[in-house]
Amino acid sequence: MEAPIIDIQSISKIYTMGEEKVHAVKDISVQIHRNEYVAIMGPSGSGKSTLMNILGCLDTPTSGTYTLNGTLVSDMVDDELAEIRNKEIGFIFQTFNLLPRYSTLKNVELPLVYAGISNAARREKAEKALRNVGLGDRMGHKPNELSGGQRQRVAIARALVNDPSILLADEPTGNLDTKTGDDVMRMFEELWEKGNTIIVVTHEPDIAAHAHRVLRVRDGLIESDTINEHRVSIPKKHEEAVEAEPAL
Amino acid sequence: MFSQILEGIKIALSAMRSNKLRSGLTSLGVVIGITFVILMGWFLQGLDDALEMAFASLGTDVLYVDKFDWSGKKSWRETMNRPDITLKQCEELMERLKSAEVTSIIARKWQTTVKSGNQSYKGIAVCGTNSVYSGIALGVIKEGRFFSPVEDLYSSNVAIIGYEVAKNFFGEDEPCLGKTIKIRGTTFTIIGKVEKQASMFAPPFIDNQIYMPLKSFLGLFGAGKNLSIAVKAGGEANLDNTRMETVGIMRQIRNLPPEAEENFAINETEAFRDNVKTLRLSVWAIGIGMTTLSFIVGIIGIMNIMFVSVTERTKEIGIRKALGARRSSILFQFLVEASSLCLLGALIAFVFCSVVMFGVTRMDWATFLSPYIPPQLLLIATVVSIAVGVLSGMIPAMRASKLDPVEALRYE
Repeated sequence: MEAPIIDIQSISKIYTMGEEKVHAVKDISVQIHRNEYVAIMGPSGSGKSTLMNILGCLDTPTSGTYTLNGTLVSDMVDDELAEIRNKEIGFIFQTFNLLPRYSTLKNVELPLVYAGISNAARREKAEKALRNVGLGDRMGHKPNELSGGQRQRVAIARALVNDPSILLADEPTGNLDTKTGDDVMRMFEELWEKGNTIIVVTHEPDIAAHAHRVLRVRDGLIESDTINEHRVSIPKKHEEAVEAEPAL
Repeated sequence: MFSQILEGIKIALSAMRSNKLRSGLTSLGVVIGITFVILMGWFLQGLDDALEMAFASLGTDVLYVDKFDWSGKKSWRETMNRPDITLKQCEELMERLKSAEVTSIIARKWQTTVKSGNQSYKGIAVCGTNSVYSGIALGVIKEGRFFSPVEDLYSSNVAIIGYEVAKNFFGEDEPCLGKTIKIRGTTFTIIGKVEKQASMFAPPFIDNQIYMPLKSFLGLFGAGKNLSIAVKAGGEANLDNTRMETVGIMRQIRNLPPEAEENFAINETEAFRDNVKTLRLSVWAIGIGMTTLSFIVGIIGIMNIMFVSVTERTKEIGIRKALGARRSSILFQFLVEASSLCLLGALIAFVFCSVVMFGVTRMDWATFLSPYIPPQLLLIATVVSIAVGVLSGMIPAMRASKLDPVEALRYE
């Protein structure tokens, strides 16, 4: 069997807040393979966000190892992690996190700027990424001139522009109405079909319903790791997703 | 690297555009600082140029044997009590002096009334001298010529007039050669006109002067005058030699015993240099003080605004870091932003200084100053402003670069 793209071995994360030590992640081991579509679920305070930050190389575990795409990243320092994030991870945030002063195109170019790619190549790649998400005609627009759904599509284009090994989405539909949320989820589906590895962090069951595998996190531990047998695939309408909910 | 700078400048410009008033106010300290740097440099350069011109017009290799001391180091009472330098002493010195290239007697009568036609002016200096004087320290003869040795010998009634005299009697650019002026009832024919010489360091009387052969002068004003002698050493290398010989001969002429102090002065342009050095130094001191002060204010202002900018853009920094920005990229971005703010200040200062210079140099007394910013000052000011930017942006930029991406992304 192919080596997992994400290999986490008994990681823990302890925050020191004043005098108190918070054990956000206690002991988590998990492997995720290429082209898996995983949902991480859990109530707030479960350690879900901390796990996501570690998966996204925004943070490092206090103990344990994390191997991403064959590279041991758990011991890396700031700048090394920045490089890994740039190359290996495409982030999609709940609040889109586009730079408001930049045009759509410039926003998508940003990861390529930090990858040190030349001006012309940058532009070409970013334009292609925007066309792929159906925003070829919005390149000069600023984020505030776009709808929420369009903004999230820009963010997806940005996440994909550098061909990362994993897409890490944190509540990607949290700020969208159900219809545009479904559009975004359909896009994820398509990306998965093209071979991308997708991790969605969410607390909404109907979002997690799209994933093949669901990790439930509670109190800093993995509570369950299940294959989603009643997966909702390519929802054409919102209603289908709602119908699928009881199956979870 | 270059594309990073360009990127940084673009970010900075867009940040400044969205905060025009704040950026303008922030760079005010730098505007003032750069303005001081430029105006000070500009003034000092003008001063130096004017000084060199004045020295050149007096002759850098010329000694003036005089009753009075130009340096002002001797007390007025002491110099007043010195004996006059007589014609006989002058002639003896000139005859015995071997190391000098040229010597010329200078006699001056101040506050003379001069008439021409029905015009009459008071306060003109009349200078009687030798024909060789034109080769010592006279300005450029603009029209006509200086008097000849023959006119000198036969005390011809010819005169060379200064710029102011010509302007007052005949108009600024009107021809005056061949016209006549009357001094104490004697008519003199004008044969030459000297170009404007007065500047910050050359005294104004120099243009309000009439030159004539020494004998004509002595005929008009009598021989009992205090005279001075211009001794041209012929090259600055020969100056010490000539000075020693001049002093020696003058002491002998005056029969001064070895222990006695000299009762005459040997003046040279070096004496001015000392005076000017003091002026230069005080301009520097004031300028440097003001500049430092305004730069400190500027640095604090920019540092403060950069802290604000970093805080405001915490989220942006988080996003950039998530997308792969290294510490150095963030550091660089904020340094470029701070430097751009300072460059903006420098640009405003350039415009402001240009206006000031244009205005000031139109005034009469300021003709020695250059009407535009000297290029080397532009360069210095630009470099200084960037340095100030880097200096004031460093701490905020470091703080920005070290932000934890998780915390920064969470910031609202």
